[in-house]
Amino acid sequence: MRGMVGGGLNPLLAIDFASALGTFLDHGKVVVGIDSRISSEMLYHAACAALTSCGINVHYAGVAPAPVVHFLTPHLKADGAMLLGAGHQGAGWNALVPLAADGSYLNSILVQELLDIYHSHQYKICPWNELGKVSRINKKEIKAYFDFLGSLVDVKAISAKNFTVIADFCNGSGAPYTKMLAETLGINLIPINNIVSGILPHSPEPRPRSAFQVNSIMKPLKADIGFVFNSDMSRGAIVTDSGETLSEEYTFPIVADYILEKHGRQQRVITNQCSTRTIDDIVKRHGGEIYKTHVGQAAIADKMLEVDAILGGEGSGSVIMRGGVRGSDCFLAMALTLEAMAVRNMTSTQLAGRLPRYHIVKQTINCPSARAYSLIRNLRNHFPDAEVIEDDGFKFIWHDGWISLRNAATEPVIRMISEWKTMDEALDRALRVRGLLERLEAL
Amino acid sequence: MKYKKNLKVSVSGVRGIIGESLTPGLITSFAASFGRYVGPGKVVVGRDTRPSGEMVEHAVVAGLLAVGCQPMLIGIVPTPTVQIAVKHYNACGGIAITASHNPVQWNALKFIGPSSLFLDRIEAAELLDIYNQPDIGFSDENSFRSIQRKNDAFAIHQKKIFDNIDVEAIRDAGFKVAVDCCCGVGALYSRKFLEELGCEVFTVYDQPTGIFERGPEPIAENLVKLSETVKQNKCLVGFAQDPDGDRLALVNSQGEAVGEQYSLVMAVDHILSEMPGDVVVNVQTTKAVEDVAASYGCSVEYSRVGEINVTGRMLETGAEIGGEGSCGGVIWSKVHPCRDSFVTMALILEMMALSGEKFDEILESLPAYVTRSLKFPCPAARANEIVRFLKHKYSDCELYTIDGIRINFPDSWVLVRPSNTETVIRLSAEARSAEKADELMKNFSEDILKLADKA
Repeated sequence: MRGMVGGGLNPLLAIDFASALGTFLDHGKVVVGIDSRISSEMLYHAACAALTSCGINVHYAGVAPAPVVHFLTPHLKADGAMLLGAGHQGAGWNALVPLAADGSYLNSILVQELLDIYHSHQYKICPWNELGKVSRINKKEIKAYFDFLGSLVDVKAISAKNFTVIADFCNGSGAPYTKMLAETLGINLIPINNIVSGILPHSPEPRPRSAFQVNSIMKPLKADIGFVFNSDMSRGAIVTDSGETLSEEYTFPIVADYILEKHGRQQRVITNQCSTRTIDDIVKRHGGEIYKTHVGQAAIADKMLEVDAILGGEGSGSVIMRGGVRGSDCFLAMALTLEAMAVRNMTSTQLAGRLPRYHIVKQTINCPSARAYSLIRNLRNHFPDAEVIEDDGFKFIWHDGWISLRNAATEPVIRMISEWKTMDEALDRALRVRGLLERLEAL
Repeated sequence: MKYKKNLKVSVSGVRGIIGESLTPGLITSFAASFGRYVGPGKVVVGRDTRPSGEMVEHAVVAGLLAVGCQPMLIGIVPTPTVQIAVKHYNACGGIAITASHNPVQWNALKFIGPSSLFLDRIEAAELLDIYNQPDIGFSDENSFRSIQRKNDAFAIHQKKIFDNIDVEAIRDAGFKVAVDCCCGVGALYSRKFLEELGCEVFTVYDQPTGIFERGPEPIAENLVKLSETVKQNKCLVGFAQDPDGDRLALVNSQGEAVGEQYSLVMAVDHILSEMPGDVVVNVQTTKAVEDVAASYGCSVEYSRVGEINVTGRMLETGAEIGGEGSCGGVIWSKVHPCRDSFVTMALILEMMALSGEKFDEILESLPAYVTRSLKFPCPAARANEIVRFLKHKYSDCELYTIDGIRINFPDSWVLVRPSNTETVIRLSAEARSAEKADELMKNFSEDILKLADKA
């Protein structure tokens, strides 16, 4: 449930949506965490009024990163959770994201059930003596997440290296926890954009252009590695010690390269249709098996459970590990990357050097969503030589590269991703498709 | 879904039953409309002890934030404290979350304008007009403001009272008193307030649970426990507050409830004895106020029932003291033009301290009247017809027709008034003796029943 605050997303909608969740759960307790955005507090109060009036007890985590909420929900034996924050989306946007009792995103069946309640506008409403209570989750419980994080990685190996790490928290919900993070991993952490001000210092998507601040101080501070996170710690990108900003596409392959090596062959890995071929190559390198799903963490996490995969992740810079929390966790992605450096005794540049590289071009094409579906479908006739996968939008695959076109769920645009061995090819193909689409739209 | 017939949107705010009519969405819409009405500034939010107060507060805060207001949360406080805080913090408005004397399943929003008074009839109509517009006009994130929290609101309120009374005299007197807080906001503040005035204090219903263990109206039948406490501990006086701390009833040292009207009579007597001036009371107020005022050569003006109607006239006439006798609401504009049980307690203590007389003695010196009241179910249109009929029938009596009809006889009066908050018509009568009052009630009841049934 996403929207522009004021225009689409207002407290009345938030109340309706939270009431639908409250009605869906009927009773029990719900963890609520917000990100640092200015409007998140308004959404919290709206959701809190709605949930308590459905008789749900609210456990409020305050400003909390998505992975912490994924963790706290089963940890506190809650019946569900609500994340209030827009993650990677630009300033002015916000969202309400419901989570299941195990801390994962609701799967499509549960989402359908929730939406049916929402559309019916028939919500549970309790009399005064059955209203839910609100309590604040204390710091100790949040510390429990970091203890858990420490248990998932080789802290001894990491801390022995005494790494200097620069991390850009995008003034987001990771910002209040930099000290806990540094203590957990035993690293010298230099946080930037770590003020919970609600003002985004740059686009919250961890694209290379968002990394210029980290990049500019890597060398002067002699950092071993740098990270750029989105505002809720569900996505991240890496900057190497040689000063190369890696595409967020490579966060997952770097983690996968290490984890698959550590756990041996025949492991299963989940990614989406639109992620880089690098991950296919890495999985092949370690004798693993790759499964592809729709875009979105919910689909990834679901498939992971289904096939008992060890890892899941997306090209947007998200990583989920079996045994970790049930959603993308970039604290963990960071910790695993550091463990890879420590255990293999490699620099971040050497880690990146192990990856087969492709060139990816990501573009958006403005297009009202009603029109987009038929336009993309039309393109099939123009590429008779490509293998077509129609799963989540269309993916056209050639032997040397691919193009994916997907109607964005969150904005009225078509998202285009094009990947080839060379940048020129990738750009050239993207340009051709854009031209085709624009011509079709003008017809 | 059940038809929501228990929602009341009126000049005194938005009232409803939690779990039925007063839904989070409705509360948020009203709070947002109010925020738009007063503009993007500070809005003080306080609430009483009702268990639903927390949920309502969240919904109010969401509504205010979404239109760019800055909610200033002052926690669980008496309703007059909210009004005083609006003035003290220069806020552009306030919302008191309280259903006052309604039973526990009710809650309500009461709106306070930038003047730090409740919205009057015209302002309330303007707010409703904004609420009824299809687009509330939520702000975008750029104009959002943060929440502010204050925990000194009652301290400010108390200081304002202490600055205006002779605290030393009261302390020196060292009174022994009892107070019944009705499990309301008084439970948090009354003991300390009275102790700081040097009183030895006995409390009943002194847990701020909001689950009222006695009827929330401070009428005689609800004050049994207070009466016992007063008698057992030989207190001079017993104070009975309502859940949100704006109204006060009294119990004498014999443990007898003296009637809600006498809180106001005593306060008027005390203030006029120090400084004669005008008095404004609502039409449902005892004639004893008029008699007391006359003894100081002062006149009494009558207003419509409802706090804002009384304070409005008080500000226009410059009256320092006034109130609503019918519900134990004393308004002393020197502290703030609002009903305030803490002011009332302070004035009565000061009166005893300065005059050196005991409570029972003061009470005996006041003119004695007996008041009775009843209500009859009656649709609004029918109620107006009844009023018109009575106006015609008693055209040769002295009549006040500002709010229903009050028929004044020598030494007695009858008030017939359609209610603002319920579909009933109210009948009150006052006379020098219980027999006379009962007789008036009987006569008028017959008239009303005849007319109400005619429909």
